Amino acid sequence: MATEMLNLTAYDLWKQYGDTPVVQGISFTLQPGEIVGLLGPNGAGKTTTVGMLFGTVVPSRGFVQFGPWQMPTQGPQARTQMGIVTQEDNLDPDFTVFKNLTHFAHHYRITGQAAKQRAGELLALVNLSDRAQAQVDELSGGMKRRLVLARALLNQPQLVFLDEPTTGLDPDARQDFWRLVQHLKASGCGILLTTHYMDEAQRLCDRILLLQQGKVIDEGSPEALVERVIGQEVAEVEGIAADLLKTLAQRHGAWCRSFGSGHLVTLPSPTADLLWNAIEAHHPQRLLRRPANLEDVFLRLTGSLLE
Amino acid sequence: MKLTSATPWGVYSVWWRHFQVYRSTWLVNCLPPISEPVVYLLAFGYGLTPLIGGVDYLGQQVPYATFIAPGMIAVGVLFQSFFEGAYSSFIRLNFQKTWQALLTAPLSFTDVFLGDWFWAATKGTIAGTLTGLVAVIANLYAPSSLVLSLPLIVLGSLLFGAFGLLVAGAVNKVDQVNVPIFLVVIPMFTLSGTYFPRDTLPPLLERVADLLPLAALVDLLRWPLGLPPWWPWSLLWLLGWLVLMARLAALRIYPRLFS
Repeated sequence: MATEMLNLTAYDLWKQYGDTPVVQGISFTLQPGEIVGLLGPNGAGKTTTVGMLFGTVVPSRGFVQFGPWQMPTQGPQARTQMGIVTQEDNLDPDFTVFKNLTHFAHHYRITGQAAKQRAGELLALVNLSDRAQAQVDELSGGMKRRLVLARALLNQPQLVFLDEPTTGLDPDARQDFWRLVQHLKASGCGILLTTHYMDEAQRLCDRILLLQQGKVIDEGSPEALVERVIGQEVAEVEGIAADLLKTLAQRHGAWCRSFGSGHLVTLPSPTADLLWNAIEAHHPQRLLRRPANLEDVFLRLTGSLLE
Repeated sequence: MKLTSATPWGVYSVWWRHFQVYRSTWLVNCLPPISEPVVYLLAFGYGLTPLIGGVDYLGQQVPYATFIAPGMIAVGVLFQSFFEGAYSSFIRLNFQKTWQALLTAPLSFTDVFLGDWFWAATKGTIAGTLTGLVAVIANLYAPSSLVLSLPLIVLGSLLFGAFGLLVAGAVNKVDQVNVPIFLVVIPMFTLSGTYFPRDTLPPLLERVADLLPLAALVDLLRWPLGLPPWWPWSLLWLLGWLVLMARLAALRIYPRLFS
């Protein structure tokens, strides 16, 4: 195993299927110990991008460098240091939970007692030790995702891909998974996370690339993105005429747009309270003041919601 | 498609994964498919010999059971390697997503393809060899002949395993695997000189039957009874089909995994 920590760099990645561009010029670098999130709605090109990064999608243009290896030509070599959690569960239904790990370890040349030991460690890590002899079909959705993650960690990878790892999981299972991701980061692992859950991205990621129609429309740390694009606070308003609200917003240098059955208005500091009071004075049916989040960023940048 | 490099460990590791599945349920996996050629051998061999007596093969009279024994070895090879390649690989490719999972490990497409192919060939080899052992016990095939026939059994298993993989890569629904079974496998299984010499067929049908890959394999496996003069061509014919089938199978499966 290489001792030197490896960077992953995507250089101007493009992918086109027929006349349809799916990914358009994505470039970024992922450092060891960093969690980078690809955040975007379904169809934004997240999974295609991940496929190019680990070698099952061949870029139409551009390339991926991971340490000394270039994808996809040196995919097998690069994957000795990668762990991949794909969107679909492709656990082996022919084997027990434990053998899913020991048999997969064989592909990394981890065999015999070493494989059993590693499988035991990982089952403990993902809290599945008591299900070691269960069949995969007997596991809940959250347990399956944790087992796929354990399988991706057999080789103690330097880089882990998590492609929508918590889609379809209940809140508890998501929390469990997030704890594991934070544990991985703390151990120095670089993580590329794709998600369409903004709370997941906001909580886990050091840096986010916002994707829309295959393009990076903005990037930065979640806090910096929110601060730069929206500010600190927003108000959700229902039951005030749109023109009136827009006039109020303009007067305070705020941004306003329709949102659900009402409107979303930024509350830019230092006049946040003034604008808030002005809105409140018109007695809207519903009024909510809350911290700005990535969903608001996405709405402002793209005009649409994430989900 | 770009041919990616394979490593011996990678190919072995994929093959080993399939072997572990087989091992865990070996009795279920092993007995029914192998019983098929064995039942044919016993039923037709003992059942029809009193009615038919001998068969005229390459200018000599051969007892019927002795005549069909190599044919049944070939049938075991055909069924087991084809069905593993077609059905099991289709399931691993489309339902269990085993191929996709393997490609998240440090394995190349060629590793996974060869591992699957060689596993299909292993199952054909097991079936052919076990059928051959039954023939040996029934005194229909000499033990030394079976040993010397092993390379032919392997060759046939590789060919029909590759044909199975081509089908797995070509069809979109598992039911569609029936189409090549009824159009190719069953006619080949009955017409290739397995149960009767092909020269009893009408001339045109005989010509067609002579070209079937299973016919070449049956002729070669019947070597203890004598070889037709064109046997080296039969061998080349099998090799040619093998290369063609493996190439086409790889070309069909690759785009299902890489885009």
